[in-house]
Amino acid sequence: MPSGRLRYGAGLGPAGPAAPSRGIDSAADLLARTVETLARRTPSVGADAARELGDIVLALHFGDGSHATLQAHHNSVVVNGGLAPGTVECFFNDRSLLALYDLEGRPSQVLEQGAFDVRGTPEQILAVWRTFQLLAQRAAGLRSVQSLWMTYRQGRGLALAVAANGHEPGPDADVPDAAGLLRGSEAAAESASVATTRVLWNRHAGEGWWAFEGPRDADLFDIMERCRRRVADEILTLIPARHPVDGLYRLMREYPSRGGKGLRPTLCIATCGAFGGHSEDAVRIAAAVEMFHNAFLIHDDIEDESLRRRGERCLHMEHGIPLAVNAGDGLNLLAVDTVLTNIERLGLARTLTMIHEITHMCRESIEGQAVELGWIRRRHVPIRDADYINMVSQKTGWYTCRSPCRLGAIAAGHTRPRELDLLGEVFKEVGIAFQIQDDVLNLIGEEDLYGKETLGDLLEGKRTLMLIHLMRTVSPRERRELHEWLGRPRSKRTVSESRHVLRRMEQSDSIEYARRVAARHAARGARLFEDTLGFIPQSEGKAILRQVIHYVNTRLL
Amino acid sequence: MTAGAVSVEPGAAGLDLARFLTGPPGPFPRVPLSDVLERRWLHYAFVTTDERQALIANLATLGAEDGGEPIRTSVLLMYHREHGWTCSQWHAHLPIDPWTSYRSPAPSTAVPRPPDFAMQSLAGRPAVALRLTSTATPAPAGVSHFHRTNWKRWQAQPGVLAEGRWDDGMVPARETLAVGYHERVLGRWAWPEMGGWVFGFCNQLADNPEGPPRWAVVFALLQPMDEGHDHTAMVMVWRRGRMVLFVPRRALRVTVAGQLARDRVTTTPRLAPLIGTFSTAPIPAVLCIDGYQGADWIQLRFRCRDAARLVVPSETSLPPFSVHEVIGDMEVRIKMSGSTETFASPGIVEFAGGAAERSWSALR
Repeated sequence: MPSGRLRYGAGLGPAGPAAPSRGIDSAADLLARTVETLARRTPSVGADAARELGDIVLALHFGDGSHATLQAHHNSVVVNGGLAPGTVECFFNDRSLLALYDLEGRPSQVLEQGAFDVRGTPEQILAVWRTFQLLAQRAAGLRSVQSLWMTYRQGRGLALAVAANGHEPGPDADVPDAAGLLRGSEAAAESASVATTRVLWNRHAGEGWWAFEGPRDADLFDIMERCRRRVADEILTLIPARHPVDGLYRLMREYPSRGGKGLRPTLCIATCGAFGGHSEDAVRIAAAVEMFHNAFLIHDDIEDESLRRRGERCLHMEHGIPLAVNAGDGLNLLAVDTVLTNIERLGLARTLTMIHEITHMCRESIEGQAVELGWIRRRHVPIRDADYINMVSQKTGWYTCRSPCRLGAIAAGHTRPRELDLLGEVFKEVGIAFQIQDDVLNLIGEEDLYGKETLGDLLEGKRTLMLIHLMRTVSPRERRELHEWLGRPRSKRTVSESRHVLRRMEQSDSIEYARRVAARHAARGARLFEDTLGFIPQSEGKAILRQVIHYVNTRLL
Repeated sequence: MTAGAVSVEPGAAGLDLARFLTGPPGPFPRVPLSDVLERRWLHYAFVTTDERQALIANLATLGAEDGGEPIRTSVLLMYHREHGWTCSQWHAHLPIDPWTSYRSPAPSTAVPRPPDFAMQSLAGRPAVALRLTSTATPAPAGVSHFHRTNWKRWQAQPGVLAEGRWDDGMVPARETLAVGYHERVLGRWAWPEMGGWVFGFCNQLADNPEGPPRWAVVFALLQPMDEGHDHTAMVMVWRRGRMVLFVPRRALRVTVAGQLARDRVTTTPRLAPLIGTFSTAPIPAVLCIDGYQGADWIQLRFRCRDAARLVVPSETSLPPFSVHEVIGDMEVRIKMSGSTETFASPGIVEFAGGAAERSWSALR
């Protein structure tokens, strides 16, 4: 994949504004930023577009003289600026570009407007059209994308393809457009994070108002932030402000106050919504899962001798190991108490089912952690990917993905084991992809964004998929050297040595290999999601879960 | 009669006169119902002039399966802006023959009258006793023919004034004035084949509360399941009681956006959730309609606020038919004879459907 002028994912911050903060230079820039926004907010749109594109390299030539290529990469699409050859060539002028964004008609209607030309084989052209249609229909509903295109339109002094208000109506000239009214409708904005507009009757044909299956996409970025904040507030309310504050309760508040992605709360609350529950029903149990997670992190940081967590020094580095261990224990205990408080809101049956689920989650996580620590203790590096996959699906998979979803469903009163297992199977794959991406980011991610020290996993001697792949591919002599290096205590491993190992990983294609495996698991999760979870009706909750599947291996933090 | 119920004089509507007149006395032809799928309805919907309360009533006569006596159902649904919905079961009590403007002769408005539209739940509340007065001309009848032998014919009239006692059981009973809509419907159809509809109206509250609304709008979109037949759609506009604009289906568009939160939808009658009622599709959050007739045009936006789902058992399918009565705010922009008018008013819209076997309806 070319990397010189790659725009995808560049410069994404964790809390960037929805509206474009700077002007848009060209149509190619607009496309690149649209793809960036999709990767961040609705990764499943990018994944579906990648599937439609297949191996086509789309060379795009815009009316303002800019050029770009669009192609699939793993589970997403990437944009490269500049003139480059492609398997399909597309020529736009401004009018046809905006007509395409506003895509509501058939291809022929857009093509009639002229100045849009596609060159390629008929099959490729149809694949390109499907990609445009998908991007237009699903991305155009995203308000941050609308904002980007509005900035571009205003910058170029262009009008939308639809009739503007005030246009003289009549049979030959449209009346003010109802769909145009909906675009600016506050009510539509309130109803869902992604405005979903449908035409029930267009003067010639229509579809039943009830035929709508629910939104397929949701703005994951906004929702994760909202869920994270809501659950963090709940945790901070639940942690008592009593003696001893300095030695215990202030420490217990530290990690929850430092932020995080909000993945677990999002999964828990979205699943509850997808199963027809009220979002508030899942807040308590999401808070309990986060408390367990924070307790695991405190203990895990001590076990791994980590230095930084969520952009700051680890708790044991700040307050010493004994107090940190104690704070972790305190969070574990409070988490159990928090689960029990669900009795008031959800009743005894659901709460008992939750306790059963939580117990199982903790057991799986502890067993997974024991396997990994045992490898390090015995200076063992597994040879097979399957050993690593099994370990991470226990250690991380359960409490990061599977249990939050299952607990969300239980909060909504859905306790059928068969359906919970189907949900668990999907999110097992997602959990694996999440952990592999986490390991990748530890090596090549931006430290400010990722929050942990870069190369921390190598310094800690963590058995990652990249390390396992490297051990398989290097020469026997180098493998022995690596074994010897991994056998040293952390204090004896230097950053420059870690950098050398990272370089060898890059030379051996280990990182790209891991990303491919992560993409494969995410894709399998996405397939299972669509194939086996048909019993969950389409809703905003389900749309959020769909985005999470693709988020786990396109995320940058 | 239960405490809090309304009291009215029986026989006040004066139906007997109709026997001495020529032509059909109305509101329906004098033909017995011969089929279980044959239906005749009188429909009423009102919003109080203070915009705090609303009522929807439906009186239905259905053909009996064995050729016996027809089945009659009556449901009274009331809404309060702060307290939500309350509903009778399917057999609300009708102490008098109900008022309808489609009866010959039309009820006189010249003299003070006792209540001529009264309904009450068997539990006593909700209950109403109203004097109804029509102030606008009826619309031309709409007809939809679908699935070979199914058909539906309806006729609507906005600008109906309702004055009298409302007792919804949520706030103390009171005398109030409301403006609304009356409709007669007859036909023969099975619910799955019917598919669904979007019906709605709004009356701009007049400066003169006893006269016709300054503007009134009624619209209908029927969406049968049968692919072989087109949908039926129309928008009609009244100005001071006279119909001034009819937009046919080839000149109008209907668009929706978003979803009304499920928490805003109350399932009624109250027993419905206890008998394994299937879930339905979400209700849109916003409805927009635009249409033209010559150089005149109308643009309408309805923002849904609260909804009650009336569950109607289906004779021929497992999932019931659901009529979602939705209260919301209507914004209307009309251009007529070169000048543009804009008004906003509360409206009631029905999103009905759901009896056809679909994947989502097989969920629960």
